[in-house]
Amino acid sequence: MSKPSLRWRDAGDAALARVLLAPTFLLLLLIVVYPVCRLLWTSLLDLSLSSGMPARFVGVDNYVSLATDPEFWTALANTLLITLITVPATLLVGLALALIANLPFRIRWPVRLSLLLPWAMPLAFVGMIGGWFFQSDYGVVNDILRHFRSTRIIWFNSGWLAFIAICLTIIWKTSSFVALVLLAGLQTIPQELYEAASVDGAGPLRRFLFVTLPLLRPAIAVAVIFRMITSLQTFDIPLTMTRGGPGTSTVTLAMYIHQNTVDFLDLGYGAALAVVLFFISMAVTAFYLRQVRAEA
Amino acid sequence: MKGISPAALRRLAALAVIVNGVFPLLWIFLTSLKTEAELTRIPITWLPQAPTIANYLRAFHDQPLALYLFNSLAVAVMSTALTLFIATLAAYALARLNIGYRDLALAAIIAVSTFPLVTLLVPLFQTMRTLGLLNSYGALVLPYTVLSLPVCTLVLVSFFQSIPQDLENAAMIDGCSRLGALFRIVVPLSAPGVFTAGLLAFVNSWDEFLLALSFNSATRWRTLPVGILLYQGEFSFPWPEISAALVVGIVPVAVLIVVFQQRVIAGLTAGGVKG
Repeated sequence: MSKPSLRWRDAGDAALARVLLAPTFLLLLLIVVYPVCRLLWTSLLDLSLSSGMPARFVGVDNYVSLATDPEFWTALANTLLITLITVPATLLVGLALALIANLPFRIRWPVRLSLLLPWAMPLAFVGMIGGWFFQSDYGVVNDILRHFRSTRIIWFNSGWLAFIAICLTIIWKTSSFVALVLLAGLQTIPQELYEAASVDGAGPLRRFLFVTLPLLRPAIAVAVIFRMITSLQTFDIPLTMTRGGPGTSTVTLAMYIHQNTVDFLDLGYGAALAVVLFFISMAVTAFYLRQVRAEA
Repeated sequence: MKGISPAALRRLAALAVIVNGVFPLLWIFLTSLKTEAELTRIPITWLPQAPTIANYLRAFHDQPLALYLFNSLAVAVMSTALTLFIATLAAYALARLNIGYRDLALAAIIAVSTFPLVTLLVPLFQTMRTLGLLNSYGALVLPYTVLSLPVCTLVLVSFFQSIPQDLENAAMIDGCSRLGALFRIVVPLSAPGVFTAGLLAFVNSWDEFLLALSFNSATRWRTLPVGILLYQGEFSFPWPEISAALVVGIVPVAVLIVVFQQRVIAGLTAGGVKG
């Protein structure tokens, strides 16, 4: 129990806190909560701005047509496949980058800068640079491969080659973010633990497996979950590299949502697609919050 | 591995990290200095044979690149300023005031940091269209503020908590109000934190593409990623100009990163990080 004078001050605190937090929660209400409610409602409407017809309530019709729309399933499969491939690959590359960056160099800034630069690049720029790298005639990737094989690879004419090029570009771009998170985690591991393990006769491999990895687990969890959530929204890199082509072989769910909403102005259908993505992301977020609470 | 000392091996590993991080950017810079004739030569050249800035002149001349640059800056500066103001207030309440729902509020803010921006596309498109805000700075400033608000709030909370409470108490005994103490004591002392949060918000805004492409596609309002993408025709890829334009778009954020790398790392660490 607090003394009366303190309680008076607590009451003042509570009022002030409400004022200070009001802008944040007002903004979240306006730009997150209200739009999500409107999204759920719109997904139940036949609302196509290009037809000029007024909105009509159609229940779950949009979801029914979605279930029988092969392009939706392609986009969903591509999105999940990109997540399944790039998240583990990014984790491995990012871990390697972080372990190297954590070595005791006398001059640390060049390595650190090399992690920060890809992180800070706009994804859309990276996609365009990727398109130039994998360009079949003048791209640097084929120029290097020229030394190993006689025929050049035409990356963007085949669905699965284009898919590989996109995944490689995503892995390059996002591994720096993972490395920065893991580097922060590595620096919180007390040096004495390594010394103690060495005294006990543990070699580098055992120190990595039994000291580094267990203590890095929280950082790995944060990195993986953030990467999963951003990966489910993959848009910038495939759009700037292939625009979803050839055909629809590299279309992601986010690209299909964008196409239906902005290009076709079919808001009802775009909303239903977005609701599917929303619930997949929420499942990952729920898992993340449980993780955060478990560690707190 | 025999014959290679551990130190040499370490230097080699560091070199691999540096090449991995810098080479793609260096390559686009080299590309931007080559003539169109050189860029369509097989086998390709690595270093520009006759370096030229012609691509930059054409990038600015054929497209309103300066306008795109200005739009990107305007949106980033406005949303960063708004984010910092709102996040400072919230972070102070969360770091310093005695409130019962503190953990709940923090959880809500963390949950928003994982919120998929794509799902806002449809409803915000509807709202912006109704309000006539499509193709305006306003269409992007508010969503970008929400995008950066969680990470900035978390960064500021951790910086505010590192300011000794005594300094603030002393100010309040001297007759300063709580808000006065916030803006005269806490904010100046955590200037590095405020600056760090600002950097993260700026980079977030500079990099955003989906909403920029969806809401502001008119030439007058395009930001850099949208503007540069639309250099491409249906079948033509003017790589010399695109590479020059990309370098123009990369330089501002690269300069920020080079100059303030320690701040950015501290911010990423304190903010629980956001991709």
